[in-house]
Amino acid sequence: MKLFKLTIRNILANGLKTWLTVFVLSIAFMLIIFMQGMMQGWDRQAIYDTIKWEIAGGQYWSAAYDPYDPFTLDSAAALIPSELQSADKKGLLEPILIAIGTIFPSGRSMSVLIKGISPGQQLLALPATLLESQPDSEVIPAIIGTGMARQSGLKKGDEVILRWRDANGTFEAQDIQITGIFKTFVSSVDNGQIWISIESLQKMLLKPGNATIMIKSKNIKAEQIDGWAFKSDEELTQSLREMLQTKKVGQSIFYIIFLLLGLLAVFDTQTLGVFRRQREIGTFIALGMTKKEVVHLFTIEGAINAVLAILLGAIYGIPVCLYYAINGIPMPSGSSDFGITIPDKIYPFFSLNLIMVSIVFMIIITALVSYLPARKIARMNPADAIKGKVQ
Amino acid sequence: MENIVEVSHLVKKYPAGNSFFTALNNINIAFNEGEFAGLVGPSGSGKTTLLNIIGTLDKSTEGSVTVLNKSVNNLTQVQAAQLRKHKIGFIFQSYNLLPVYTVFENVEFPLLLLNLSAEERKKRVLETIEWVGLSQKINSRPPQLSGGESQRVSVARAMVKRPQLVLADEPTANLDTENSHHILKTMKKLNEELKTCFLFATHDEKVISYLKRIIRLEDGQVVKDEKVMQ
Repeated sequence: MKLFKLTIRNILANGLKTWLTVFVLSIAFMLIIFMQGMMQGWDRQAIYDTIKWEIAGGQYWSAAYDPYDPFTLDSAAALIPSELQSADKKGLLEPILIAIGTIFPSGRSMSVLIKGISPGQQLLALPATLLESQPDSEVIPAIIGTGMARQSGLKKGDEVILRWRDANGTFEAQDIQITGIFKTFVSSVDNGQIWISIESLQKMLLKPGNATIMIKSKNIKAEQIDGWAFKSDEELTQSLREMLQTKKVGQSIFYIIFLLLGLLAVFDTQTLGVFRRQREIGTFIALGMTKKEVVHLFTIEGAINAVLAILLGAIYGIPVCLYYAINGIPMPSGSSDFGITIPDKIYPFFSLNLIMVSIVFMIIITALVSYLPARKIARMNPADAIKGKVQ
Repeated sequence: MENIVEVSHLVKKYPAGNSFFTALNNINIAFNEGEFAGLVGPSGSGKTTLLNIIGTLDKSTEGSVTVLNKSVNNLTQVQAAQLRKHKIGFIFQSYNLLPVYTVFENVEFPLLLLNLSAEERKKRVLETIEWVGLSQKINSRPPQLSGGESQRVSVARAMVKRPQLVLADEPTANLDTENSHHILKTMKKLNEELKTCFLFATHDEKVISYLKRIIRLEDGQVVKDEKVMQ
């Protein structure tokens, strides 16, 4: 208690110096939390966006569908089972038909995956309304993602020949028109893919009433259907989660780098501060404090500084973090060309776990970087410490 | 009169390269209650080392040192701290005041370590500050004080717990003549009124002129121990 009172007295007596230390510590602390929150937000967004753009409440796969083998796609389509047709009509289920095709943009050929979806669908974030056919138009409306637009060089309004093979094995071709280009963070609905109306695709393939997969709304329960396998959102995002888990190793390196940068500030303010107070430590010992008490005094002081830094950081950090968690952090244009998929905006996510771990870590580290130099000085000959002789 | 300090066959050696440097060699000396004595000698004669050993801030290599009936050679770190906290006051050449504390807080600090009540602390601090004539500067901080005033705060800090022994290492080294005399007169007055034993390490003639006993040290040995008739 005596030491605690002395610490409080020291902190108060240090006045502006204390607040400067606390301010620098709070910046380091906030940086660590913010950067880690950004990384967590990025991961979370990847899963969230994948569900929003591709999975919704889960998918039914026809028994023959293998997403890793495009050559089986022709035989993977199956009739929409009667049990699910009422849900389909209510918009609680969205069939998607998938086929292989080729487009010829600017005279070159490019293999694509043709995906058919209902223009009225509401389950995925795809702007499918742009697939509505215009009356008196022979051209099939199609939408593509920005990644595909970049790969193919197609722009909105462009027409391009699409070639496919129908159910009889006959190659057919027709013009399609790009009626919209959507921007998504989910490359599996973008790269190498062309979305058209399912009705058109069923006609093109001569497979009326067929689908390869069906997207389920979150509002209905999954059922066991013969010839179809249900994949929950958990299952479908499993590989993504595993990939993110692997990425976490890399992220921890980033976290450590941020921490080290933050700790530089902590080290500078605390450790150098303690070393500068070498004579003070010697004087405390001469006045009757034990070395242990002096070390405890400085350690408690460091820990209290960290707590004050957390409180101060919370005052300006919570509004800042909340603002960015709600509005997102805009990423520079062209950042998607870095070789990794970066969304337009990253929404940081500050989990309770992240905050608690960072708080505890920060207090321990600050106390430690106060403890170590104080212990070193307290171990010195007090007569030397009193004179401020650096060892 | 009771012996406050007894030093017997004291040797202090410091490692210097592959050999040792002998800072103090076979020192035998004793100080009584109420003495106003000084260890006098040139730089490197061992006076500060002897003062530090008596003050339990340093350890001897050989010999025995008894301070207030406690053999400091055998004291644990905690016991030595207790001895300093209760019985020994220190005055340093460069004052060693806590820069962020006010005069009041600097003087109060040793009493905080003694766990005295706030009321008792305030009474003692105000009384001690009055002794050294700094009542007007009670809320000032060390950077706002002159050298003389700082050393008077240092004296007040050493005296506030009414120690039996005060160790002053070159207390006037950073002071001008007027302030040196002022501080020495204050210490002499406290010595006479409270019977506190003052032990100086100095080579300042002004300090020497106030001493009642002069112990001359040369090359780590006592070469002369004389009482001064005043």
